[in-house]
Amino acid sequence: MSSTTAAHHDEHHDHPTGIMRWLTTTNHKDIGTMYLTFSLIMFLVGGAMILAVRAELFQPGLQLMKPEFYNQLIGVHALVMIFAALMPAATGFANWMLPLQIGAPDMALPRLNNWGFWLLPPAAILLTLPFTLALFGIGDGAIATGWTFYAPLSIQGGMGVDFAIFSVHLLGVSSVLGSINVIVTILNMRAPGMTLMKMPMFAWAWLVTAFLLIATIPVLAGAVTMLLTDRHFGTHFFDAAGGGDPILFQHLFWFFGHPEVYIVLLPIWGFMPQILQTFSRKPMYGYKAQVVSLWAIGALALVVWAHHFFTVGMPVPALLYFMYSTMAISLPLAVLFFCWIATIWKGSLSFETPMLFATGWIVLFGIGGLTGLVLADVAADAQYHHSYFVVAHFHYTLFAGGMMGVMSGVYYWLPKMTGHMFNERLGKLHFWLTAISFNLTFIPQFFLGLAGMPRRIPDYALQFAEFNAISTVAAFVLGLSQLIFVYNIVSCARGGKKATDRVWEGAEGLEWTLPSPPPYHSFTEQPIVK
Amino acid sequence: MNHVAADFEIIARPNSSLSAKGRVRAVMIIAAISLAVAIAFSLIGAWFVLPFAGLELVGIGYAFYYIHCHSQDYESILIMGDQVSVEKKSYKVVSRMVFNRYWAKVLLRLMPSGDQMLLLRSHGKEIDFGRSFMTNDQRLELAKQLKERVGVVS
Repeated sequence: MSSTTAAHHDEHHDHPTGIMRWLTTTNHKDIGTMYLTFSLIMFLVGGAMILAVRAELFQPGLQLMKPEFYNQLIGVHALVMIFAALMPAATGFANWMLPLQIGAPDMALPRLNNWGFWLLPPAAILLTLPFTLALFGIGDGAIATGWTFYAPLSIQGGMGVDFAIFSVHLLGVSSVLGSINVIVTILNMRAPGMTLMKMPMFAWAWLVTAFLLIATIPVLAGAVTMLLTDRHFGTHFFDAAGGGDPILFQHLFWFFGHPEVYIVLLPIWGFMPQILQTFSRKPMYGYKAQVVSLWAIGALALVVWAHHFFTVGMPVPALLYFMYSTMAISLPLAVLFFCWIATIWKGSLSFETPMLFATGWIVLFGIGGLTGLVLADVAADAQYHHSYFVVAHFHYTLFAGGMMGVMSGVYYWLPKMTGHMFNERLGKLHFWLTAISFNLTFIPQFFLGLAGMPRRIPDYALQFAEFNAISTVAAFVLGLSQLIFVYNIVSCARGGKKATDRVWEGAEGLEWTLPSPPPYHSFTEQPIVK
Repeated sequence: MNHVAADFEIIARPNSSLSAKGRVRAVMIIAAISLAVAIAFSLIGAWFVLPFAGLELVGIGYAFYYIHCHSQDYESILIMGDQVSVEKKSYKVVSRMVFNRYWAKVLLRLMPSGDQMLLLRSHGKEIDFGRSFMTNDQRLELAKQLKERVGVVS
């Protein structure tokens, strides 16, 4: 008797071609490609918005736009970058790489996977459509409350808030569908022999991410629905005039909003050790310690939310609790940093583009983490809250820690995905331009924040002019240098030097045992993990 | 199945790295976390969180129930004496088709995807095999093995 085992993959035997392939595909690699492409497009859209903001801030006074439009750009930029650029990038990597890394032929629920992706474009349209409608005199533009939707401002806002609420609902459903798929895939479809403690770090990180999404998305969905009923159905959940509590909204929003930072970053913490070990040519340091740290950070992420609004007024015991619990996150995070550095310590290092981004990421994300510690301190936060210090801090976290991590991942796996090598020289140029212009954009913002410049205000005092001018010029260099990234990806997808199966000399893992690019059905034989 | 008398037998089934107990445990852990959060917020007035958490848990529960229902699915071919028996199980439905070993034909049909579909056909009856749980290469290899054993007089 012989037997064979494989996972369900009867969903896509007869795959169509052309546009129908992309509309109806249930193939994890196709869907991963769509997520990553969508993410790249929205990264450029969100980037263009913030360049308009920086252009306005080049000089004091109002030059280019009205304050209302400025506020809309700020809010939609954040929502687009977080929900439509960073999160889809992480989900794109998950779709592409998780089945390959755990030896599964596809995601566990392929049709659900397709639905999860196709909810994103309508959500992005809902988010940005009010800009277009306003051009035709319909409505008063997009959401102008910042990405936080704070009540009562959001209760009083225009119909852009309603569009954003429905957009958030769609994005939330998409995230939950993706999370269900990731959990079921990782738990149920690992290749024989791949026990939990043999899983790649990326799979662990995504498992924690999926749990965080499952725990927090209903809270966000509930909060924005309550906002909607306050706006249109006469409830007073957040309206103090009707007996409601605007602070409740802040609690609800940040119960989602803080873990959201980890939702965006955890997948990157998952694949970054793999990149570091590849280009250090030595085994990953502290696998178990990293797994435990990821779970510890996931757990702590759920209990620290109120540090985002220390200044709103809280009892002292609450302030102390949220301050110490927030600072406690630095312990498992320090373990991760130690493991990342120990992985490259005394390694046989080479600095191809993915490694350049990875090492740059450690340093810059480290700055994001350390400045976060400053903001976790209640007394210091009283000065820095709502200042440009906060803006600089979270861009070190989300651009350097998030987007530069994504770029590292793209360069690492692009040859595997496309079957071609990218232009290494352009990749390095992209890194140096990004790293230098990023620092020149945001270091001045630390100083602006320390000097007291408030965020979300289109005008500022003369004393802030020089730092703002430097920041704006650097932001444009940063923005334009991303076109190199786009060109490199597109030209790599279209052709170039053929990539080998393993691509990188030190690469380890099941995905590197497959051809580059992998076949439509990933594994022709069930891999056995020893 | 009678393993002793079989001339040839192959069973294809999905890989499942999570036991039935593990599935229940996973759903319970997720439900505990999600409900704890939702109930806590409901108690302070944000009761709108609860129905969303409920909807989410229905989705998660159904996903795990779905994979549980299909975890015992299989397709098998048993060649014994002058009979070729193809059996398929999907959830609770078991279907079986029996062919005469010497009349049955093993066929490969090209699908639009470029993969081959493996078919057994005889007397107007036709059944495909390995479409759900086997890769293209596995089907090709199996077709080769079957052609040596089916439709030929030994």
